[in-house]
Amino acid sequence: MNATENTPQILATFESVRRFSFEQKRQAVYSEQAVNEFLDAVLDFKAMLADKTDKINVIVTRVEAITWLQLTDNETLMLVNDLVSQLKDLRSSLVRQYLSLDFLRKKGVAKTEIKAFKASIDDLLDVAADLESRFFYLPKIEGFEETSRELSLL
Amino acid sequence: MAIYCTETFRAQFAKLIKKTSYADLEEELINHFFNKDIAQLSTGTRLNNSDTTPYIKKRLAGSGGYRMYYLLLIKDGNVYLMFVHPKSGSMGYDNITDASKAALYKEVLKCIQHNELYFLRVVGDKVHFDPVK
Repeated sequence: MNATENTPQILATFESVRRFSFEQKRQAVYSEQAVNEFLDAVLDFKAMLADKTDKINVIVTRVEAITWLQLTDNETLMLVNDLVSQLKDLRSSLVRQYLSLDFLRKKGVAKTEIKAFKASIDDLLDVAADLESRFFYLPKIEGFEETSRELSLL
Repeated sequence: MAIYCTETFRAQFAKLIKKTSYADLEEELINHFFNKDIAQLSTGTRLNNSDTTPYIKKRLAGSGGYRMYYLLLIKDGNVYLMFVHPKSGSMGYDNITDASKAALYKEVLKCIQHNELYFLRVVGDKVHFDPVK
């Protein structure tokens, strides 16, 4: 094979490099802008998620405070029962949101914020179960109220 | 304020802090319970109906988090640690059952009545468990 037979291949290669080089030169300016817009979107998303997590944690603290109340009348206990149902329903919605973030989590985006979000959802379920236990289940367990009475005599 | 615990708590604590992933538990215990007053410990979820001897479940931070169960004897200013479990990791789980919560409650009463307790003190960054009996 002589030099002239290789010319088309070289020319084709030269053309592809020339075209690609030109595209990269053009993209240099736009890439910075695109990256900045992407980073801003990630920051906004992180802030939104952190804010949502804070709100959930506030709810958890408020529910904990209810467990310190003396509640005996049926009407108030019905409200507590409704609250338990609402908390479980809220938790279901939040779990769906968390699962929809799986693609981000796998890519390592907003890992800390997503982890904190999940922890707050778990706390929400926890406190709902404890609220229910406190007012509806534990008092009915044999010996529980008697234990309280004996402790008060110590 | 004096801090005591049951054998159940002591054994569970000892098992957990042996694992690297739960090495922060000791520091969490010290930070949360030592040099605190009763008012500071009267937070979290109350599981019984008593203002004088509240049975408390407390969320402790730390990687993955822990759940601590304890009793306050307000008039004596004493704390009785009953159980601890991590939320995550190889020994972690979400919640204990109501039956377990009730069993721990009855156990702490029995331990207090029979003095079957450990007194907790801190030496350096370590918690020591001294049998009361």
